[in-house]
Amino acid sequence: MENLIEELKSKIIAGFSLEGVSPSDIQTDEPLFGVGLGLDSIDALELVAILEQDYGIIIQERQVADKAFASVQALAEFVAANRKPCSSESQS
Amino acid sequence: MNPPAILAASYLGPEGHGNDLTGLRAWPASLNEALQRGELDGLHWSLVSDSDPSRFARMDLMCRLGLMAAELLDAGFDAMPEARRERIGVCVETFAGSLDTDIRFAQTPRPSIFAYTLPSTVIGEICIRYRLKGPVLCLVSADAAGNNAAVEAAEWLKLGDAGACLCLSCEALDRKTAVAAGLPGHLPPDGWHACALLIGGREGAPRERPFAAGSLVEICRKLCSKPKRAC
Amino acid sequence: MDVAVNEPAVAIAGCGAITALGIGIEPLQRALPAGTSGLRNRECTVGKTRQAIIAGWVTGETLDQLRASDPGHAGSRAFLFARAALKQAGQNAGNLLDSVPPSKRGLVLSTTKAGIDALEKLVRHLPCSPMAQRHIQPAWLAADLAVACAAGGPVQCVSAACISGLLAIQQGVALIRRNLADVVFVAGVDLISDFVLAGFVSLKSLDPEGCRPFDKARIGLSLGEGAGAILLARCDLLPSPSVRVSGWGTSNDANHLTGPSRDGSGLVLAIFRALARAGVAPDSIDYINAHGTGTPYNDNMEALALRAVFGRRVPPFSSSKGMLGHTLGAAGILETILCLAAMQAQLLPGTPRLRERDPAAPESLLDHSRPASGLRRILKINCGFGGTNGALVLERELP
Repeated sequence: MENLIEELKSKIIAGFSLEGVSPSDIQTDEPLFGVGLGLDSIDALELVAILEQDYGIIIQERQVADKAFASVQALAEFVAANRKPCSSESQS
Repeated sequence: MNPPAILAASYLGPEGHGNDLTGLRAWPASLNEALQRGELDGLHWSLVSDSDPSRFARMDLMCRLGLMAAELLDAGFDAMPEARRERIGVCVETFAGSLDTDIRFAQTPRPSIFAYTLPSTVIGEICIRYRLKGPVLCLVSADAAGNNAAVEAAEWLKLGDAGACLCLSCEALDRKTAVAAGLPGHLPPDGWHACALLIGGREGAPRERPFAAGSLVEICRKLCSKPKRAC
Repeated sequence: MDVAVNEPAVAIAGCGAITALGIGIEPLQRALPAGTSGLRNRECTVGKTRQAIIAGWVTGETLDQLRASDPGHAGSRAFLFARAALKQAGQNAGNLLDSVPPSKRGLVLSTTKAGIDALEKLVRHLPCSPMAQRHIQPAWLAADLAVACAAGGPVQCVSAACISGLLAIQQGVALIRRNLADVVFVAGVDLISDFVLAGFVSLKSLDPEGCRPFDKARIGLSLGEGAGAILLARCDLLPSPSVRVSGWGTSNDANHLTGPSRDGSGLVLAIFRALARAGVAPDSIDYINAHGTGTPYNDNMEALALRAVFGRRVPPFSSSKGMLGHTLGAAGILETILCLAAMQAQLLPGTPRLRERDPAAPESLLDHSRPASGLRRILKINCGFGGTNGALVLERELP
C-alpha cells in the first residue's frame, strides 16, 4: 500500500503540473479537491482518465469518484480494490 | 481615421527574447543549445517575467509561447481601464498551430490537455490574463511569416471594431515531438518563434512607431533587434 | 463607428452540405419543418471501452457515394466532405461563376481539426495516405480545396474553435468588401474522429442519449460531422435579391477556458457588435438560431445573454444541434445554411430533440417549427472553447 501511495502522489504531481511540490509535501489524508491540494473540476476528470489508463479502472458515476478522491489514502484504497490485473503498473 | 501605430513589439525565438525597448536578450547558457535545436520544454515564465505565472505550468507549448510573447510586450494592460481593454482585440496567425499538443493528446488523451488541441486557445489564455474582450480571429497559414495577422487587425481598427489589437505569430512545435511522430514536414520552415505586435490609434506616446503591413515576424525581429532606447 | 458606405454589400449566392442527413441541401430543407433528428447510435472504441455513441454521423452510404465520385481523395475524408459541399454551392449559384475569373475567386476554410484522423493513424503506426497526412495541416487542406474550386484569389483558413464557421463567413465578406475578390467560397468541415471523441468523452460533456438543447433535463452535447459550403458574392453580381450578410461581431469572455462566462456578458458584446455593424436595433431581429449545444452551462448562459440583449422581448429562437449534432468547425456554416433555408421557406425552425422546455429559458423558445410571414432578419450565434463568441446578422433583401 505504501508504494501505491507514493506512486499516486507522483502521478498527481506530474498529472496536474504541480510545480515545486514533492511527494512528501502531500499529506496522505488531506483533501485533494477544494481545500487541501486545491485541484479543480477538470483535474477531477483528469484523475478519472489516469485511473482508466494506468490502472484499468472505469468510473461511471460521480458518487464513486467523490468518495475515491477524498484523499490520497482513499484513492489508494480504491485503486487497490479495483485495479485490473492486466494494467501496466506494477503491483504493490 | 489616422493610420494605426505600433504601440509595442515583442519577440521570442532561437536568437533570444525581448521587446522594442529592451532589445533581444540571450537565453541562459543552460537552455540555449536545446532552444537552438528547437527543443522547447525548458521554456519557463520566469525567464521573461517576475509576475505571478498563474496557470502557466498547466498550459501547452503554444499557449506558453504566446503568453510569454504577450507578457514581453510590457504593454501595461493591467493599468488600462476596463472600457479600453474591452476594445482590444486578439488576432493570431500560425502555421504549426496546436500540432505539438495534438500529437501528445493522440498518444495520451487527457481531459486537461484537450482544450489545448486548438490553435485558438492561446487567444483565450491571453484574454483571460489581461482581461481583453475585443474581436478575435485565428488564422492558420501556409507559411510561418505572419503576413496576415496585422493586416486583419488594421482593418478592425479602420472599421472601428477595435481600439487596439494584439497580433500574435506563434510557431510552437517541438522538433523532437514532430520528428518522433513522423511529421518533420509539418515543422515551420524557419524554426520556432512567438512574436507579438500591439497596434492601435496614435496617442503620441514615446514608444509609438508607424505601422506598415508586412510579415509580423520580420517587423518584430527588426524592432526588437534595434530597440528605441528611452530618452 | 465608421461605416464604409462605398464598400460593396455581400450576399449568399449558393450553398452545399454533407451531413448526417445525407448529401445536399434538400434533406435539410425537408428536415426543418419536420424537426427531424439525424443523430444515430454507432459502436465505437473510446480509450479502452466499447461504447455506443449517439452523434450526427455521416452515413456509410454517403461516404461510399462521395468516394465513388472523387476517388483521388478517398483517403482524406475532410477533403471529400468539403469538396462535395463546395461543388454543390458553386452549382447552386447558377451561372454566376461563369463570369468570375479565378483571380477574383477567394476561399476561406473553417475547421477545428481538419484531417486529424490521419494523425491518429500515424500515432498507431497504421497506414495513411500521403494526401490524408498532408491534410493534418489545415492550411494545405484549404490550398487544395482552392485548387479544386479554381479559386486563384486570396485563400485563408480560420481555426477558432466552435466560432470558426461564423468567423470564416466574416472573413469571406471582408475579402469582398476590400475588393480582393468578387466571390468567396466559404467552407466548414470537421470529422467525428477518435481524437475528438476521446476528448469530449474525457470531459464528460456528451449526453449518452443524445443532446436536448434548452431542455429541462439536458445533460450534455452530441457531436456531429460533415461539411457546409456557402458561396458569397457581391450583391451586384446576383440577378435577383438574395440574403445578405449584413452584420458580424466577435468577442472573448476573458473568463474561463472551457466554460462560458457565468453571465453571458461576452456573448452580449458579440451580439451588440453584430447588430451595430448591421445598423439595426435588437427589435428588428425576427429569429435567432442559438448555439444551443445542450450542455447545462451553455444553454443557461445563452438564455442570460439573450435576455440581456433583448430584454423582455426575446425574438423566437431555437437550436438546430438536435438535427445535425455539434459539427464544430462546420457548425457556423451549416447552421447559417439552415437559417437561409428557414428564410426561403418563411419558416421558424423548432428545436429537434427538445422534450420538456427549461422553465428558465425565455418563453419564445421554439419547440416545433412554425410558418412565419415577414421573416427578414436572422441572428446566428455560436460560442467556443477559449471563451470566444461570434454573431452574424442575415438579412433578406426585398425585391
